[in-house]
Amino acid sequence: MLAVDVKNIKKTFVTKQETVEAVKDVSFQVEQGEIFGLLGPNGAGKSTTILMLTTLLSITKGEASILGLDIVTKDKEVREKIGVALQDTGIDNLLTGKELFFTTCRLWGYSKKDSEKRTIELLELVGLTEAADRRVKTYSGGMKRRLDLGLSLVHSPDILFLDEPTTGLDPGSRRVLWEEIKRLRDNGVTIILTTQYLEEADELADRLAIIDEGLVVAEGTSDELKASIGGDVITFSFKNDSDLKNAKNVLNDAIEDKDQLRITVENGAAKIPSFINDLNKNGIIVSSVSASKPTLDDVFLEVTGYRLEGSAGTDSSNELEEK
Amino acid sequence: MESNRSSFVQLQVLTKRMVLRVIRRPLAELPNLIISAFFLFVYDGALGGVFGGTASGTPFDFANGNFINFILPVSIVSASLSGAASGIYLVEDIESGVFKRYQSMPISRWAIILAPMNVGAFRVLLQAGLILLIGKLIGADPVVGNVGFFIVLSLAFIWGMGFAGYSVAAGVKSGSSQGAQAATFLFFPAIFLAPTFVPREQLKGWLETAAAYNPTTYVIEGMRSVMVQGWELDILFRGYLAATSFAVITLTLAVISARKATEKA
Ligand SMILES: Nc1ncnc2c1ncn2[C@@H]1O[C@H](COP(=O)(O)OP(=O)(O)OP(=O)(O)O)[C@@H](O)[C@H]1O
Ligand SMILES: [Mg+2]
Repeated sequence: MLAVDVKNIKKTFVTKQETVEAVKDVSFQVEQGEIFGLLGPNGAGKSTTILMLTTLLSITKGEASILGLDIVTKDKEVREKIGVALQDTGIDNLLTGKELFFTTCRLWGYSKKDSEKRTIELLELVGLTEAADRRVKTYSGGMKRRLDLGLSLVHSPDILFLDEPTTGLDPGSRRVLWEEIKRLRDNGVTIILTTQYLEEADELADRLAIIDEGLVVAEGTSDELKASIGGDVITFSFKNDSDLKNAKNVLNDAIEDKDQLRITVENGAAKIPSFINDLNKNGIIVSSVSASKPTLDDVFLEVTGYRLEGSAGTDSSNELEEK
Repeated sequence: MESNRSSFVQLQVLTKRMVLRVIRRPLAELPNLIISAFFLFVYDGALGGVFGGTASGTPFDFANGNFINFILPVSIVSASLSGAASGIYLVEDIESGVFKRYQSMPISRWAIILAPMNVGAFRVLLQAGLILLIGKLIGADPVVGNVGFFIVLSLAFIWGMGFAGYSVAAGVKSGSSQGAQAATFLFFPAIFLAPTFVPREQLKGWLETAAAYNPTTYVIEGMRSVMVQGWELDILFRGYLAATSFAVITLTLAVISARKATEKA
């Protein structure tokens, strides 16, 4: 049985001022026991999708099921199976971490004794034992995210939805959460998470879907997506703008991207000399050139036509020498 | 581990959590308490003293010799405005996203709505009780005996639940805690468009008309009857009727709006 099966769901918000098609057409399948990533920029429709799947928002059109349960007609049963950590974390700042866990356990129906036991377990699991008696107000961003994760685990859900679990965290705290999420997956929990970080999708997700403007524009494992581009990415940069412009006429298939030209070809490294030759013949001076395997960044550029903000060049070009 | 859910336990847990929230920011409770005590001291000092004497038509006369008895209901009514905190508590949870979290869990919707109401009711009883105590210490003495205090408190409670309902409805409608707060301020005029400082017969012109349509009037008069006049059952009945009608209307509005808030968008 599929953990999550989403078929052409759509969400239209009608407000007084306007009608927003937040999710236009989203479909994907998640197998049990995998981490599935929804990668997309701000406003792509990630949270809206998560809210619909977690039964917190009605679906305008389409259907979805979780462990075979229809999320509209069987919403009560669905809620028993899922854990949710939303993007706008609803955490009670005036309570301590321990009180929050205990309260949540009680709300889920555990006896006082079991609640105490579970509280201790979960505090340990998300590494908040030391801070258990401090008010949440005093927690750091990373601690709050871990608390949020822990709270979504109280009833040992089979399926966990995490909406941007690491946004705003420093790289260290992010890694700590990644490890925790992987550990959960290894214990059999299916995880659906959204992210706007390529690196996170690449590192964490077993499979992912790229979502942009309410549509799924690509889906697969990170390697599949990279392979779908076909070949290697060669990146050229130039001394000045006019060279760049002229080069575009020479290299017909190239895409301009932030003062650089990129071209995707089979066997990239071997083809560099001939490209440079062509450019030189036209009097164009190449200031640097590199070939690399496509990254998720390149996939994103390819399928959306733009780069995910803040990611340009971070994890792409392995310089030619490294190859 | 056994999971055995009951709405009653959920209500208990949510109420306890909200009480903790209230206790942990005690300063938020002070303004209303101070305003209510202010009525008691300042108006007793100013009005009870200035007019003085026992001549007919002076405060001392219509207060039957004890101005604190006469002014105490005004303080109590103002203290029962603290019931409005219910709406603010609820909207705070909506704003912070805690409400969404509860919605994502199998929690009884009634428990979610009733918890802040419980705490609002508790606040009304606490504040009104405190004001009654202060009143008693500085000389309030119901003509019907101490049972008068309980009658006043019961009226205050019903009235306070009316405010609780109103604030929940206004808060959910406006979607912000400022909205809930602003809406409750509308009720301060209601205290003054009433026979606050003199009996209704002494109000003139438009104020008399306004007071006649203001349910606060009947609540104050009902409380005053047991404090000052004795067992005036028709006045007392009107007091309960006004308070109960108000509470029924606003609580209905609260339930309708809260039901909307817990529905899916
Ligand atoms: N309740 C709403 N009413 C109207 N429009 C909405 C509502 N919720 C979301 N939208 C719009 O729908 C679109 C998708 O929003 P959504 O929150 O799903 O994006 P997102 O991918 O989660 O973005 P982010 O990375 O910023 O969290 C946005 O244009 C947003 O403005
Ligand atoms: Mg979002």
